[in-house]
Amino acid sequence: MTPSHLQIRIEKRLSNFKLNVDLAIGAEILVLFGPSGAGKTQTLNAVAGLLTPDIGEIIFDGTTLFRREVQGEVVNLPARMRRIGYVFQQYALFPHMTALQNVAYPLKPPSDRNRALDLLSQMHLEDLADRYPHELSGGQQQRVAIARALAADSKVLLLDEPFSALDQPIRQRLHAELRSLQAQTGLVVLYVTHNLEDALTVGHRLAILNEGKLEQVAGIDEIFLRPANRKVMEILGLPNIIEARIIESSSDHALIDWNGLKMRIGHSLTGYEAPISGYIPPSEIELIAPSAISGGGDANYLSGHVISSRPSGGYHRVVIRLENGSEIEAVTRKADAANPGSSVRLRISEGGIIVSRK
Amino acid sequence: MNWEAVRLSLQVTLVATTVLFVFGLTIALVLVRFEFRGKIVVETLINLPLVLPPSVVGYYLLLALGRNSPLVEWFHLQILFTWPAAAIASAVVGLPLMVQASRAAIAGIDPVIENAARTLGSGELELLRRVTLPLARRGVLAGLILGGARALGEFGATLMIAGNIPGKTQTLPLAIYDAVQSRRYELANRMVLMMTVMAFLGLWLVRRLENSDRSRRISTMP
Repeated sequence: MTPSHLQIRIEKRLSNFKLNVDLAIGAEILVLFGPSGAGKTQTLNAVAGLLTPDIGEIIFDGTTLFRREVQGEVVNLPARMRRIGYVFQQYALFPHMTALQNVAYPLKPPSDRNRALDLLSQMHLEDLADRYPHELSGGQQQRVAIARALAADSKVLLLDEPFSALDQPIRQRLHAELRSLQAQTGLVVLYVTHNLEDALTVGHRLAILNEGKLEQVAGIDEIFLRPANRKVMEILGLPNIIEARIIESSSDHALIDWNGLKMRIGHSLTGYEAPISGYIPPSEIELIAPSAISGGGDANYLSGHVISSRPSGGYHRVVIRLENGSEIEAVTRKADAANPGSSVRLRISEGGIIVSRK
Repeated sequence: MNWEAVRLSLQVTLVATTVLFVFGLTIALVLVRFEFRGKIVVETLINLPLVLPPSVVGYYLLLALGRNSPLVEWFHLQILFTWPAAAIASAVVGLPLMVQASRAAIAGIDPVIENAARTLGSGELELLRRVTLPLARRGVLAGLILGGARALGEFGATLMIAGNIPGKTQTLPLAIYDAVQSRRYELANRMVLMMTVMAFLGLWLVRRLENSDRSRRISTMP
């Protein structure tokens, strides 16, 4: 990976689970994603030096920030010496200092006004330098917090749900700014969120954390095309999660039995543990007329009836009950196909069923 | 007016307030930052001077500073019946007020803000100087004024360990007692008035600090 490189391998017993994180982050934005209480903030705190792991190692660019193994010397660099920029969830600006004084806080000498002004203007805040935090909007406060975290020449930036309290448009702008900042500076960014949309907009890679355990670390496409297991799909909130038996598997396709429905999958399932789990993205489900011929090919044809439907900005999100009693969610632009009670036929291509790795 | 007593009172109060600042703040910080066994016992001990008769506090101090005490044997701290003894007695009775007020103010600071300072390179002393104290200043100042006012009015414990020696250890409260004993009511009146004005000013200042704190908090609401 690129020069800057943060390695985290830690274990920490917490009140209701054990945190066990093993991550390597390069010059990129890695999103630590998971439900509330999964141990995301604790992971950031451990990197920053605000929480001491029971065992493990944290190394940045060859410098050991923390090490405690069963044997050997213990290293635990105090937070003030780690030079890791940390943007807290509620900004944590110093309320008794102006924006400029906040940014200048870590500078030596603190009177290095020009450098602080540079950082502020990088965040488009130069006009607000003399305002106090309570005179700034949430988005402005958060930008001051980022400028302040960068002021100490940190090469690592930790962000804890940084934009969760902000409106959508501001959020999108800040995400774009963060991405270009990262690209310009080559920062190592660890970004914590429980909001999937945020995760997908800002992240280069995703690390999925659940009850202290990393379920999968991969690029965004990889995670959606090859989720590691059912837990990952549930945490991502994926629709149409299915569980099925393998009937047969050859070198280029497989047949599965999903609650009595036989379905064809366009790749081999040899070596998969049965029963398999997977999901069907609504975009892969095509609603066709009930009279349409089950025209061959390798696609799967199913039938059922619509039980509910709601408009979703230009298209309809429909829930369909299939012959086997299972419910499946699909999207369509055809309003007439979306009437509750109407019978529909569905076409799912053989590549439309995504099977998890385990 | 007994100016000698006024001077001694101010001198004793000034020293006592300095002691209060250093010890009271340290104790308050320890109580906020650390959890330890017997914390409640320590807190109760610090608060005891609030409810004990000053003569009891004075008696303990007499034991601590008396002839066979290790303080005297090891540190040669022979200050009994001098004005520094009066300062110590005043500081001890003022301590609970200082600790309570500054402790509440420090505990009221969001710990995340202090952690932010740590990640920005601040050691504990720098954190205290640049973040904790500025944010807790109203509470700390209120505690200092309350403790200082209490120190200024100290009578019983001071009498026990510093005595009532005019020009040496006789502070205003003791001088008032003397004046009344010797039926010099005009002198007593003047000194009583002076004490009352100083105490009033102290309490008024504390109220003002509390009020401005509240209005500031309301103005920072989003």
